[in-house]
Amino acid sequence: MEREILLSGIGGQGVQLAARSLAQAAMREGRRVLMFGTYGGMMRGGDTDATVVIGEDSLMTPPVVDRVWGVIAMHHLSWPAVSEKLRSDGFLLLNDKVFQAENSHPGPCLSIGATAIATEAEMPQAGSMVALGAFAAATNIVRLETLLDIAEEVLPSYRSQFAEGNRKAMQLGHDAVSGSICEAWGVAEAVS
Amino acid sequence: MSAELLEGSEALAKAMISAGCRFFAGYPMTPFTEVLEGMAEHLPEVGGTCVNAESELEAVGMAWGAAAGGARAATGSVGQGLSLMQESIAEMCFARLPLVVLNMARGQGDYFQATRGGGHGDYRTIALAPADLTEAVSLIQQAFYFADKFRNPVLFMGDYYLAHVIEAVDIGPVDFEALPDKDWLLDGSTSGSGTARIISPLMPVKRNAEVFVEYGDYLETSGDKIAAIENGMEPLFESGHCEDADYVVVSYGTPARIIRYAVDQLRSEGVRVGFFRPISLWPFPSAALTEATRTAKAVGVYELNAGQMVDDVRLSLRDKVVESIGGISFDDSGFGIAPELTPARVEARIREEMANLSNEVDA
Repeated sequence: MEREILLSGIGGQGVQLAARSLAQAAMREGRRVLMFGTYGGMMRGGDTDATVVIGEDSLMTPPVVDRVWGVIAMHHLSWPAVSEKLRSDGFLLLNDKVFQAENSHPGPCLSIGATAIATEAEMPQAGSMVALGAFAAATNIVRLETLLDIAEEVLPSYRSQFAEGNRKAMQLGHDAVSGSICEAWGVAEAVS
Repeated sequence: MSAELLEGSEALAKAMISAGCRFFAGYPMTPFTEVLEGMAEHLPEVGGTCVNAESELEAVGMAWGAAAGGARAATGSVGQGLSLMQESIAEMCFARLPLVVLNMARGQGDYFQATRGGGHGDYRTIALAPADLTEAVSLIQQAFYFADKFRNPVLFMGDYYLAHVIEAVDIGPVDFEALPDKDWLLDGSTSGSGTARIISPLMPVKRNAEVFVEYGDYLETSGDKIAAIENGMEPLFESGHCEDADYVVVSYGTPARIIRYAVDQLRSEGVRVGFFRPISLWPFPSAALTEATRTAKAVGVYELNAGQMVDDVRLSLRDKVVESIGGISFDDSGFGIAPELTPARVEARIREEMANLSNEVDA
C-alpha cells in the first residue's frame, strides 16, 4: 500500500520542513519514503508544495504524482490544482481561517486553526508543524512520538534551537484532534 | 551500510565519495549547484578537495589535472556549462584520461550533446542515465569504474528531479572487478629522467622515448579505443512487459520512471504495452531494443525534447514504425520541470498512440 500526502502552502519553508519531518518519521517507523518539493525560485509569499509518498515496499510511484490520498492545505493559493489531485475518498486537513477558498471535498475533512494555534503559542511560523501533528492524530500515518523524536535531526545544525518549539507545535496540533478520523494503514500497527 | 534519508544531490555527492572520488570542481548552476554544495561539504571530511572554480572551463581543467595525477576526479554542470567543457572533454578522450562529468540537465535537450558530443575529432564518451535515485547512487559509482577501465570520460545524466527528490538510499561503496594500476599517472617519479611520462592528446610518450609513436598512428588508436569500449562494455538497459507487446515506449532518465509507472497501470488493465529504457545512452543498447520490440507493431519514443534519442531508436530498428511521442515541456522556473510529465498525461498519450495503432490495423 502506498499513501501519497500533498502539503501545500505559501513560502517560507514551513511546508517543506513539515513534509521532511513526515518523511523522516515514516522512515524511522520502517517504511519506504519518497519526497519531492517544488519551491523553485519562489519568493516569500509564493506558492510552495511538497509531496510525500509512504509505502511498505519499493516505491514505484514517480516523484510527480497525479492522485494523492491526503492533503494538508495551509493556504488556498494553489487550491484548484491541489483539490484536483485529492482522491474523492482522501483525507483533507484545512488551515482554518487562513484557508479561504470554497471547499467541496466529498471525503473526510478536518478544519483546524493551525496558524491560530501556533500564533497563540507565540510561534506563528510553526503553523505547518501544528498541522502535521493534527494530521498524524487524525490518520495515524506516523506516531506523534516518532515526530517528536526526529524534530532535531530534520533541522540543519545551525537551526537546532527551533527543535523544541517544533515539538511543542506538533504536540499542540496532535492534542487539538480528539481521535482518528481516517486511518492511513487500517487498524494494523506501524511496521517495525 | 543502511539507508539514509537524503536529498538526491547530497546522495550523489556521498556516492561519488564512496566510489573514491577525491577531487571535484565545478561552477554553480541549478540543479548542479546542489551537487557542488554536497561535495564542498563532504569531500574535505575524507581528505579530498572540492573547488568552486571561476567558470566551467577552469573546473574541467582542474579535474583534468587531478585525473592526470591519478586521483578519481569529477566535474559537472548543466548542459549549458558542459557546452564550455566540450573541448577539454574531447582532448581528455585523446589523452586517455578518466573523468566523470555530471550533467544535471535542465530537461532532456542534451541527448545529442551527451551521445554525439560537441567537441572536435573522433571520440566518444560513455553516457549513463539513471531513472531514479536508488539506481543513481550505484550507477554513478559504476561511472568511475568505467572511466578508469577505459581511460575515458564518462557522462552521468541527472536532472532537477534527481537532484531534489528525497529518498532513503544506501550510499555505501559498490564493488566492481579490480582495475589495473594506473602506471601512466604523473606522480613526479619520472621527472628529470629524460624519459618522463607524458599525458597529452597528441602523443603517449615523449619524442626521445625508445619506442616513439607517430602522431598519425596515435590518432588511429583513438578509433580503436571507441571499438574497445563498444566491445568491452555491455550496453545497459531495463525493459518490462515487452513480451507480446503491441506497442513499446522507449524513454530514459526521470521520464522513464513515469513511463514505467504508466505502463504498469496500463498492463494491469490488460493493455498490451511494454517499456524499454536505455541506461547507457552510449553505447546504445540496440540489440536488446531489437529483441524487446520483436512483437511490437510500432514504437514510441518519449523524451522531453523535440526528438533526439528517437534517431538512435530508428538506427536500431530499421524496419519498425518509430515515432516521437514526447515533446518539449518546461515550466517557468527554467530548471527543467516539465508540466507535461505526469503519469496521467503520459498514460493518455500512450492510449492515444495505441488507438491509432488499432485504427491502422483495422483499416
